[in-house]
Amino acid sequence: MHKLSTKKAFVAYFLFGWLLLIVADRVDELRVYQGATIAVTTLAIASIILLTGYSGQVSLGQGAFLAVGAYAAALSQTFWQSPFWFTLLIAILVSAAFGFILAFAAGRMSGPYLAGTTLALAVGLPTLANQFSFLGGETGLVYDAGLPPERFGEEFTLYKWFFWIAAFVVLIAMFLLRNLLNSRFGRTWKALRANSTAASLCGVNVAQSKITAFTISAGVAGLAGALLGMVSIVAPSAFPLSLSFTIITGAILAGVTSLLGSMLGAVILVVIPEIADVIAHQLGDSEKITTNLPGFIVSVLLILTVLFSPNGPAEAMRKRKEQHAKH
Amino acid sequence: MISLRRKKSILAAVAVTSFALVASAVPANAEVGVSSTEIKLGTTVPMTGIAAPGYSKVAPAMKAYFEYINDNGGVYGRKINLVIKDDRYIPQEAINKTNELILKDKVFALVGQLGTANHLAVTSKVRIASRNIPSLFLNTGYSGFADVKKFRTSFMHFPTYVAEAKILSSYIKENFTGKKTCLLVQNDEFGADAEKGFATAGLTFDETVKYVSGTQSATTAQTWITRFAGAKCEVVVLFSVSSATAAALGVASAAGYKPQWILGSVGADSTTLKIALNNPQAQALLNGAIGVSFMPDALDTTDEYVKLFREVNTKYSPGVDFDTNVLVGMNAAMLTVQALRAAGQNPTRRSLITAMERKGSTFASAAYGNLAVSRTSRAGFTGYWFGKFNLAGALIPLDAGRTVYTTDSATGPVTKASAKRAALPAKGIPTNS
Amino acid sequence: MRQLIGTLLIGLTLGSIYSLMALALVLVWRSTRVVNFAQAGQAIVTTYIAYEIVTRTGVFWLAVLFAVVAGALLGAGVEYFLMRTLFRHVDEGPVAALAPVIATLGLLGVIKSIVGMIWGNDFRSFYPPVSTDNFVLFGESIPFSRFNVLVILSTTVVMIIFSFIFQRTDLGLSLRAAAFQPEIARLAGIRVGPIRTIGWVFAGVAGAIAGVLITPNDVLSPASLDVLLVFGFVAAVIGGLESLPGAVLGGVVLGIGVSFVLNYVGTTLIFPTVFVVLLLALIFKPNGLLGAKKVRSA
Repeated sequence: MHKLSTKKAFVAYFLFGWLLLIVADRVDELRVYQGATIAVTTLAIASIILLTGYSGQVSLGQGAFLAVGAYAAALSQTFWQSPFWFTLLIAILVSAAFGFILAFAAGRMSGPYLAGTTLALAVGLPTLANQFSFLGGETGLVYDAGLPPERFGEEFTLYKWFFWIAAFVVLIAMFLLRNLLNSRFGRTWKALRANSTAASLCGVNVAQSKITAFTISAGVAGLAGALLGMVSIVAPSAFPLSLSFTIITGAILAGVTSLLGSMLGAVILVVIPEIADVIAHQLGDSEKITTNLPGFIVSVLLILTVLFSPNGPAEAMRKRKEQHAKH
Repeated sequence: MISLRRKKSILAAVAVTSFALVASAVPANAEVGVSSTEIKLGTTVPMTGIAAPGYSKVAPAMKAYFEYINDNGGVYGRKINLVIKDDRYIPQEAINKTNELILKDKVFALVGQLGTANHLAVTSKVRIASRNIPSLFLNTGYSGFADVKKFRTSFMHFPTYVAEAKILSSYIKENFTGKKTCLLVQNDEFGADAEKGFATAGLTFDETVKYVSGTQSATTAQTWITRFAGAKCEVVVLFSVSSATAAALGVASAAGYKPQWILGSVGADSTTLKIALNNPQAQALLNGAIGVSFMPDALDTTDEYVKLFREVNTKYSPGVDFDTNVLVGMNAAMLTVQALRAAGQNPTRRSLITAMERKGSTFASAAYGNLAVSRTSRAGFTGYWFGKFNLAGALIPLDAGRTVYTTDSATGPVTKASAKRAALPAKGIPTNS
Repeated sequence: MRQLIGTLLIGLTLGSIYSLMALALVLVWRSTRVVNFAQAGQAIVTTYIAYEIVTRTGVFWLAVLFAVVAGALLGAGVEYFLMRTLFRHVDEGPVAALAPVIATLGLLGVIKSIVGMIWGNDFRSFYPPVSTDNFVLFGESIPFSRFNVLVILSTTVVMIIFSFIFQRTDLGLSLRAAAFQPEIARLAGIRVGPIRTIGWVFAGVAGAIAGVLITPNDVLSPASLDVLLVFGFVAAVIGGLESLPGAVLGGVVLGIGVSFVLNYVGTTLIFPTVFVVLLLALIFKPNGLLGAKKVRSA
C-alpha cells in the first residue's frame, strides 16, 4: 500500500487550503457561512472516525465533548481574556482531559454500555449550564474570534473571517491527525479494531490504547466544539442530542474508516437540507414537508449506507479493487 | 492505491468547489430587501415546540395585517412581504433562521421576534447591530434591550419585565401585606429581569420556583404546585410563558389548590390556556386571577383598535381565534407600517432607524401610552393597567377609569400615567410620514 | 412528610413508564443483541394512532387496543424487513457490529420525519381515561390520582404477563434459549428467526403502552418520546440489559431519583443526575442491579 509521503501530503493540504481561499472570495456570503459549518463538521466527524473507525469504540455522545471544548474556550476568554488561539488550545486540553477521565471510569465498558453512558452524557452535560450561573444559562457565553483585521477592508465579512479561521485550523488538525494515524498509534488501533485478542497477544496494551484513542478523540471534538461556538453560540441549545446523532450519521455516510471521507460527510450534511429545500418547493411548499424532509433524506441515506455499504464508500472501493487485483 | 487517494481528494475538492460556485449573485438594488414593488421583512418565532401554543399566532397575525395594508395600497405603493421562520424558541435555531433571513431571503429588516434568549443570541452572533440590520418591535420585555449602545438597531415593543414586576409589586404590597407570597419564574434573562424588578421594589417571596424553558409539562408542574402548597403560599405570582402558566393552573386545579393567582402579562392568555390544556373550559381556571396588561383586553370589543383588528383577523385569517397573541401581532404590524412610512419614499435601513428614533414615540397603537423610544433609548411601551379575569377569561379593569401605572426600569417610583392613547387612524390604515 | 410522600408517588408513576420502555429495549436486546433506538419512533407512531382514535371516538381503551396492535405489527415489521436484511448483509468490516444499532438510529429519524410530515410538528395532547384530580388523604391533597394508579397497575399487569410467558411457557423457554445460545437453540429444533420476531413484537407492545400512558401528562409531538427513550435505556442498563425484573427495578429507581431531584433540587439537574446514576450503577454494579455474575461484554 503506497502512501503519500508526509512532505507531499503537506503540499496537497496547502494547495487545497489555497484553493479554498480563492473560492471563498468568489461566492455568496451564505456559501461562506456554510463553508465554515462544513469545516467544523469535518473536524467533528474526524473525531468519531478516530474513535469508532480506528479503535472500534462507539460514542453516541460526541456532542458532549464539543460542548466541553466550547465552554472551556469561552470561559478562558471570559475570565482570563485569553487570546483566541490560546482558547482553542484550552478547548483541546480540557476536553481531552475530560475524555481521559471518562475513558478511565468507563474503562470496562463496551458496546451498548459505552453507548448508553455517552448518550446520557450528551443529554445531561449541556443542561448543567442552567445550574451554574457562570456558565451563562440558556443564553450562553459570549465567545468570538474578534473582528477581521481592518486591512482586509470593508468587504471582508465576518463570516469570511470565520471561514478563514475554521478552514485554517481544521486543515492543520487534519494534517496532524493524518500523520498520527500513519504512526505507531494508528497501526496499533487498526490492529485492535481488527482483532483485539490477537493484538493483545502481540503485546499491545488494549486498555491503554483504547483510553488513548478516547482521549485524542475527545480533544479533537473539543476543538471542533470551540470552532462551532465561534460560528454559532456557546449555549445548551447549540449542543442538543441531535448534534451527536448528526455527527455519527456524517461519519457513517463518509465511511467510518477514512479520515479524508469526513469532509465528504460534512458536505453531504450541509448540502442535503439545500436539496431538500428544492424538493419541498416542488412538492408545494408545505411547512410540514419542508421542515421534515432533510431529516428524512439523511435518515434514509443512513439506513441505505449500513445496508449496502456498511464500511463506507472508500472501504467498498478498496475491496472491489482488491478483488479485481486477485483475478 | 495512490491513485485512489488522489482521486478521493480531487473528488472532495471538486465537490466543495462546485457546490460553492452555484452561488447566486448579489442584487445591485439601492437597499437590500426593497424593490420597486415590494418590501421584504423577516421574523423568527416559535411556530412549533414547547412555546408554540399561543405564540405561533403572532407572526401570522402580523402577516394578516400586512395583507390588509397591501390590499389598501401598501406602503407608498410597495407591498409588504413577511417571511416567517420557525425557531422553536431555541436560541441556536434563532441564529440559523435569522442568518437564512439575512443571507438567503435577503430581508430589509426583522420584525416582531419573540424570546429574550433568542434575541440575545441573535444580537451577539448574527451581529445585526454592526451589520446595521434593523429589528423592530421585539415581543420581549427584557430591560437590557433598551440599551442603545448594545442594541443600536433593535427596538422594543413590550414594556420591560423590570417595570412590570415593579408595578405588580406595588399592587401586592398595597393589597396583600402579611400574606405568604410566592413566585414562579423562568430560569433565564426573562426570569432574572423580573426578579430584578421585584427586588428593586423591595418585595421578597416565601418560595421561588424556577423552571428551565422547555421543561414545562404537567409532570414538572406537579412539583411546582407541591412546593407552593407545601409552603402554604396564599398569593402566587406566575411570571412565566403561556405553556408554563397553563400547566401550573391545570395541575393546581387538579390538586384543589386555590391561592390568589397573579399573572404576568407574558403568559396570561385565555385562548392559549384552552389550547395548552386541550380543554374548552380551561379559561375558567383564570377566573378570579389578577393580571396586568399594556393593551386593551383581546375580548373587549368596545375598543376601537380591538374591533378593527378583529375585522382584519376574520377576513385575512379565517378560523383563527382572536386573542392577545393576535392583538400583539397586529399591533406590532401597525407600528411597523408607520415606521416604514416614516422612513420615507425610498426607505433604507439607516433611514428606518432614524425614523424610529425621531418619530417612534408618536406612532398610533392599541397600547396605553406611547413608545418610549428615542435617540438614547430603545424602550417600548411603559404603562400597565390592572384587571381581574372573569369566567370567560376576559380581563376586566379593577377600576372603571382603567388607571394606567407607569415606571422606569431602574429605581424610579411607580406613578399614575397621564398620556392619552392616540386615536385609531381611519380604517386602521396609517397615513403618517 | 407530605412532600416526601408526594415525591415518592410521582417517582413511582414516572418509574412505571420508564420501566415499560426499558422492558421494550431489554426484550429486543435479549432476542437480537441490538439496542433498538427506533423503539421511541415505533412508540410515537402508535401514540399518534391512539391520539387519532381518542379524538375521533373518545374511547380511550379502543385507542390502547389499536396502539398495542400497531405496536406489535411495527415491531414484527422492523425485525422482519430491516433487521434480517441487515444481518444477512453485514458480516464483516470495522462497523459490522455497529450496523444494526446505526440502522435503528436511522429508522428513528425516518419515522420521526414521516410522523412530522403527516401530523406536523405542533404539540397535541389527549385526555386520560380517568380523573387526574388528586386524592385527598387526611384532609390533605396528595399528588396521586386515579390516572397514576392506572399507570402503575398497567405496568404491573404487563410485567406479570411477560414474566409468566418467559418463566412458565415453552415459548418463553425458546425465547430465552434463542437469546443466550442461538446455535444450540437451533440444534435443539427451535426456529430462531420467528422467535426473534416474537421478541420484537412483545417490545413493540410494551413501547406502545408506554407512549399511551405518558402522553396524557405530557404533550405529543414527533420528538416527545426521545427523552423517554433515553430514560428507558438508562433504566435498562441499570437493570443489567438482560433481565426483565431488572429493567422494571431500574425504571423505578430512576423514576424515584428523578422525582427527588425535581422536587428538592429543581428541573435543571434532572439529566446530569441521570448520567451520574448510570455511571455509579455501572461502576458499582457492572452486571446490573439484578444481573448475573457473568462478566459483562457486548
